[in-house]
Amino acid sequence: MGDSAVLNNLAGIVGGENVISGPEAEAYSVGGVAPRIVLFPGSVEEVAEIMKAASRDSLSVVPMGSNTKRGLGDTVTRADAALSVKRLNRILEHESADLVATAECGMTLAAFQEGLGGKGQFLPVDPPHVGRGATLGGIIASNDSGPERLRYGTTRELLIGMKAVRADGSIFSGGAKVVKNVAGYDLPKLFVGSLGTLGILVEATFRLYPVPEYSRTCIAGFGSLEDSHAAVKSLLNSDLVMTSLEHITPALAEAVSASAGAFMKRGPYHLAVRIANVEKAVRDQVELVNGILARHGAEAHVVEGGDEDSFWSEIREFPGGAAREGRAVCKAGVVINEVPSVFKVIEMLREGGVEALASARAGNGIVMIALHGDNHALASAIDSLRMVAESGGGTLVINDAPYDVKTAAGVWGDLGSGYALMKRIKSGFDPFNILNPGRLV
Amino acid sequence: MEPLNKSYHKRTPGWKLGFGKKLENILGKDGVVSAGDELIAYDADALTGMRIIPMFVVLPKSAAEVSGVLRLCYEENVPFVPRGAGTGLSGGALPAEEGVVISLSRMNRILEVDIQNERVVVEPGVVNINVTKAVSAYSYYYAPDPSSQVACTIGGNVAENSGGVHCLKYGVTTNHVLGLEVVLPGGEIIETGGKTLDRPGYDLTGLVVGSEGLLGIVTKVVLRIVRKPETVKTFLAAFDRIEDAGAAVSGITARGVIPAGLEIMDNLCIRSVEEAVHAGYPVDAGSILLVELDGPAAGVEAEMPIVEEVLRENNAVLIKMAKDARERDLFWKGRKNAFPAMGRVSSHYYVQDGVIPRSKLSEVLGKVEALSREYGLKVANVFHAGDGNLHPLVLYSAANEGESEKAHELAGKILRACVDAGGSITGEHGVGSDKKIYMGEMFAENDLDAMNVVRCSFDPKGLSNPGKVFPTPRTCVEQGHKHYTEHPLQKAGVGELF
Repeated sequence: MGDSAVLNNLAGIVGGENVISGPEAEAYSVGGVAPRIVLFPGSVEEVAEIMKAASRDSLSVVPMGSNTKRGLGDTVTRADAALSVKRLNRILEHESADLVATAECGMTLAAFQEGLGGKGQFLPVDPPHVGRGATLGGIIASNDSGPERLRYGTTRELLIGMKAVRADGSIFSGGAKVVKNVAGYDLPKLFVGSLGTLGILVEATFRLYPVPEYSRTCIAGFGSLEDSHAAVKSLLNSDLVMTSLEHITPALAEAVSASAGAFMKRGPYHLAVRIANVEKAVRDQVELVNGILARHGAEAHVVEGGDEDSFWSEIREFPGGAAREGRAVCKAGVVINEVPSVFKVIEMLREGGVEALASARAGNGIVMIALHGDNHALASAIDSLRMVAESGGGTLVINDAPYDVKTAAGVWGDLGSGYALMKRIKSGFDPFNILNPGRLV
Repeated sequence: MEPLNKSYHKRTPGWKLGFGKKLENILGKDGVVSAGDELIAYDADALTGMRIIPMFVVLPKSAAEVSGVLRLCYEENVPFVPRGAGTGLSGGALPAEEGVVISLSRMNRILEVDIQNERVVVEPGVVNINVTKAVSAYSYYYAPDPSSQVACTIGGNVAENSGGVHCLKYGVTTNHVLGLEVVLPGGEIIETGGKTLDRPGYDLTGLVVGSEGLLGIVTKVVLRIVRKPETVKTFLAAFDRIEDAGAAVSGITARGVIPAGLEIMDNLCIRSVEEAVHAGYPVDAGSILLVELDGPAAGVEAEMPIVEEVLRENNAVLIKMAKDARERDLFWKGRKNAFPAMGRVSSHYYVQDGVIPRSKLSEVLGKVEALSREYGLKVANVFHAGDGNLHPLVLYSAANEGESEKAHELAGKILRACVDAGGSITGEHGVGSDKKIYMGEMFAENDLDAMNVVRCSFDPKGLSNPGKVFPTPRTCVEQGHKHYTEHPLQKAGVGELF
């Protein structure tokens, strides 16, 4: 079969109105590589048909939802077709008494939350890009998360069952639709963070939580990094149940533009503590938080309502959207006590011509970093940050950066002694390497 | 179909002698058990109905020794089975015929306690409760608390992804294991995950937890520890009808309260437990529900009236709150001794571990009762009601001919009812040898095939705990798979190819 006939064949599976090709397909580029054709299947069966045909004709497929995380991962080595599951966007089951819901993976998180509404339940993940249409499948595949992970974990903790289509078009399920299940291997865990390299996620079953009735956030500035970190330790070693604990660098504190952030300029480092519970419990805990912060020489401002929401929205979204020249976004994972070491390196980046904004999920050791500078300076900044993260046993990955920066610094860092095994798993699920080739393993 | 381990060639006495010598070279004389009377101690785990005497038992003291054993097993095609404390209820540690049991009991050191970073690093033979003991002075604890926590080991918990009575709120083992050192079949030692979160690459840690020893031998575990809650309040409520207790459970979670624990016991359990441990349970109650709330004091205080209201709405005839930690421990002691206490009322019992959606509790309990009548065998019910994890105990006497088979058949029908209700065949005990025949009820061929891809990536020769979990032997002939070796069953023309 000729080259264009092969693509036409794929297009035929979904029907002409659900295909984009030619120059318009460029908008669906991943890491700067444009697919030749973009397919929008309308059912799991169509996804399976596409993969069967792609397998047969050795076409590479880049799975996506809304493609909000197009910068994540190494550049794909081939991108014949992009496959967006966006049309798979329904809630399939929601049994509120069980706090469990199943949905198709092309559903946006925003639509999913709305669909659960009225029953006082939600999926407690708060990743970035939700306003740009981040889908359930994309959030799972990238294990993306936000400040509320301190209380609820990430999709790793919340995904209890899944359905996916393998490279050869076979459809399989893993996990279950009950919150507790140990039958067989935990395939949902394998798919969390696998970045579309093992299969195309089409359905997900999540554990849900009740929406807390009341929420407040305490924000305080500190005289020094030592003081703010000491306060982090006191907060963690207390009776508080915090929803979020964010440690914000001076540059980011200045950049937060919301009314909630208006007073965030007095101290170099800031902490933001979110408490969500019944009203009485929140009031009691806010008092406790303020007491702890005061003991560390900081005066807390309590924010609520729209100010509180817009503050957290900025903290989630500050790393920004799509890649462009001169900026990079990274995520460091370190132990709780190493966060200040990462911040100290960030302080020194300015000398190398890089401006950095950063915020740490201080109770998780996750540091989100946005860097601005020329490509060469960015790559060397990433090297320094990775060095400090790895020297404490942690990791640093590039979430988004210009191609040259990714190539120079390396996206993933050291994948460890399990890498050969990961490659065997990849080749077991996708023997001809047609799913997101080169993006992760 | 015969289990995989039956297919290994019978070994000659001379070969065995030589193999034993090679093991001794790796482990020293005191690290190898070969005497028949000593091997008997390892012939079963807590699923005592299935027994196989292993060829050798080895007692390694380090990952290097485990690696040496696995390399030797790989070269000589000898299957091996890891073993912790042997408390497992699904026959996961049942030895392989003509195989080696690797007991991790000597690898029992707590390697690191890192309070500031909320991590503890242990060897697999460390007993569950000892992790909490090591950190409780700092107001921390290790959350997963299986009923056998005074005996079971972290390695076994990792293999089974063990739960406990507090996992509704705090999750199961996999939510608290962040990193592993694993010796792969063949002897390679790898590290997965670590003390930090969001490590790039596939979540090998998440795959190995709950893999029931089929993917290699875990030699080190990085655990997450959590702060003790400020306040704990425990209710004991009694109901005439178990359906009411079930409805109360749904009612509590529907009101937005997620208790730390929600446990139901029926009258048969209550009586035997009360006799055994004097927990203060009302012996005339049709069922009791234990509800534990924990967290910040004000939050717990706000939840208490909600819980009481739901309990009353669902016809609770007695509501009692533990007045202090002593009484609370007593309430839980009763629950945690439910299985052993059944030994007082029945010479034999067979425990199952099905899971159902909470909302189907009454429906499935009704089916269990009907099955009990149909088979003429008593079924005692004790379960983690909050997460729908049932533990029906089918009582029987092996002395009565055919009764054991009847009990197993009845238990199988209960599992079917769980799957039909949209649930799982096992919530925390594992599939092991016991439930593998039911895997096909829950998973389609494609699902099992995807699991087999995982298995072949770790263990192409199928030597690690063979004959467990999967209903039929599957070989590693995936397209493009580099580690294909022909399986003896396939060679003999009896194995199925997938």
